[in-house]
Amino acid sequence: MANVELKNLTKKYGDVIAVQNMDLFIPHNEFLVLVGPSGCGKSTTLRMIAGLEEITGGEIFIDDQLVNEKDPKDRNVSMVFQNYALYPHMTVEENLGFSLKIAKVDKKEIEERVKEAVQILGLQELQKRKPSQLSGGQRQRVAMGRAIVRRPDAFLFDEPLSNLDAKLRTQMRTEIKKLHQKLQTTIVYVTHDQVEAMTLADRIIIMKDGYIEQIGSPIDVFNNPVNVFVATFIGSPPMNILTANIIKKDAKLFFELDENILMPCPESKFDYLSKKENVIIGIRPEDITPTISSNSSENIWNFEKNIDLVEPLGTETQIFIKLNNKEIISRMYNQREIKIGQKIEFSINLNKIHIFDKDTEKVIK
Amino acid sequence: MKQIKKISFWFLVMFLLILICMPGIWIFVSAFRPNPEILAKPANWIPDRWTIHQFTQMFSINGYVSVPAFKYLMNSVIISSVSTVIAITIGMMGGYAFARFNFKGKNKIFLGLMLARAVPGISLSLPLFILFAKIGIINTSFGVILVYVAMNVPFTIWLTDGFFRQIPKEMSEVARTDGCTRLQAFWNVELPLAGPGIGAAAIFAFLLSWNEYALASIITRTVHSKTLPIGMMDYLDEFTINWAGMCAIAVVMIVPAVILTFIVQKHLVSGLTFGGVKG
Repeated sequence: MANVELKNLTKKYGDVIAVQNMDLFIPHNEFLVLVGPSGCGKSTTLRMIAGLEEITGGEIFIDDQLVNEKDPKDRNVSMVFQNYALYPHMTVEENLGFSLKIAKVDKKEIEERVKEAVQILGLQELQKRKPSQLSGGQRQRVAMGRAIVRRPDAFLFDEPLSNLDAKLRTQMRTEIKKLHQKLQTTIVYVTHDQVEAMTLADRIIIMKDGYIEQIGSPIDVFNNPVNVFVATFIGSPPMNILTANIIKKDAKLFFELDENILMPCPESKFDYLSKKENVIIGIRPEDITPTISSNSSENIWNFEKNIDLVEPLGTETQIFIKLNNKEIISRMYNQREIKIGQKIEFSINLNKIHIFDKDTEKVIK
Repeated sequence: MKQIKKISFWFLVMFLLILICMPGIWIFVSAFRPNPEILAKPANWIPDRWTIHQFTQMFSINGYVSVPAFKYLMNSVIISSVSTVIAITIGMMGGYAFARFNFKGKNKIFLGLMLARAVPGISLSLPLFILFAKIGIINTSFGVILVYVAMNVPFTIWLTDGFFRQIPKEMSEVARTDGCTRLQAFWNVELPLAGPGIGAAAIFAFLLSWNEYALASIITRTVHSKTLPIGMMDYLDEFTINWAGMCAIAVVMIVPAVILTFIVQKHLVSGLTFGGVKG
């Protein structure tokens, strides 16, 4: 039962900045996911909260108490590591009860709390085994159990699913989400996998080079990315990005997507765009689809293009075309027969395109 | 054809084994027979008469003491054990520090420790003799222990550093978030995991002390501090050498070391860390 607050948190390794002036408030019971490419400072942030990494500047509060000077053991947070870090010389039971044994909790209570964790995670059969006798998924479960037993103020997950195979990862992801609902505790979760971030988070923080790029709910971040980096990082396959010249024609503005392909600019942005020569356009693959007769409306704009490549995936088909010499992916959800080289008509929903400034790469509102 | 190949292979193995083990076997056999038989020419490979005369004399079982072997044995045991325990304690802490912490001049200090081992021990004997004589610890167990600790610590640090490095850092980190202090994490998690490595380092340190001759021959003078290898020289008289006695005391030296190695060897099997962390 605790909130976590970071104020002006900074970490430097010599001259290298790992985390820069980070301000963040995590309310009680929130599932917060820190996501970003490797080296963006997300793990460092987590380790600073845990107390495993000294901070260069700023303050960390857990449950409204300043913990800057506190040892990891006094912060009452539990951490789950990517490589599980189970104690290899102890059985599952001993692993689970270790923190309580150190805290000198009496034996009976240790037994009860271990039993409780065992039940929550379905480890009944494995209690007497050593970590070397467990599969990856089971080890991961024990690692989570070890965190639960302590009843911490907050859970810290450091890429806990990265070592699992794809199928198990999906399964454990669901389990972590269920666990959060059961335990009602603050969770800070670090991952480089945007799918994990989207599916688990109440709130996502996208980091890059030690800075927070955007904070928001998964849907908000997906729909309204503030810059090109966030736009391409969230969503799979990533958002199509291309640079387009702005062309004036009949007192109207157009984006030149390709030779002779002019997409109308949204009128609301005329003022801003008339001063610019070119911009970056972002279109999600699902917003650029082969035309079907039913989707003609005011905001739909159509163009024709030859197909470079087709990848049928069953539920959807990904179609690759080239605009301004950049590869663009289009997603099609009906199973229409399409051939490579064929010229077909595509529709773009003009309400859903993202326009970014060419120089700052920030979104134009 | 295959049969012949196999048989000739085993003959070769036998031959090599005998060649390698010969000195050892010779010592054992010679310890249990009278001196003249050892010197017989041509060599008498299988003793005509077995005797434990040298051992009974050594340990004064019939009241006559040839060489105070029991006292030497005790000296050896005490000096080797104490110096091993001290060297391991210091070396283990040093190894942990090198493996886990970053500090100024870390690599240079480490290199320095290794270079210290490159100096031949015997070259230190004279300065050590003068120094120890001046401060009055010549011919004491304490002095010998001091020398052996100094000899063993760099090696122990080097060995344990490697073993601690093999244990993932996350082990101690997770223990610390689990409520351990750094020392508790070391004691409860890292030390048990490094156990086999520390055992290996200990056996090396012990054997080095147990077998050391050069320095001990300079800084031990009497029964008070002489160890078994030095005690062996007691059988060297002005005109004769009691080979049987020497072989007997050599057996007294070899047997405990071999037994100890056998006992510890079981624990040296590592692979204990497997499973805690996905490799």
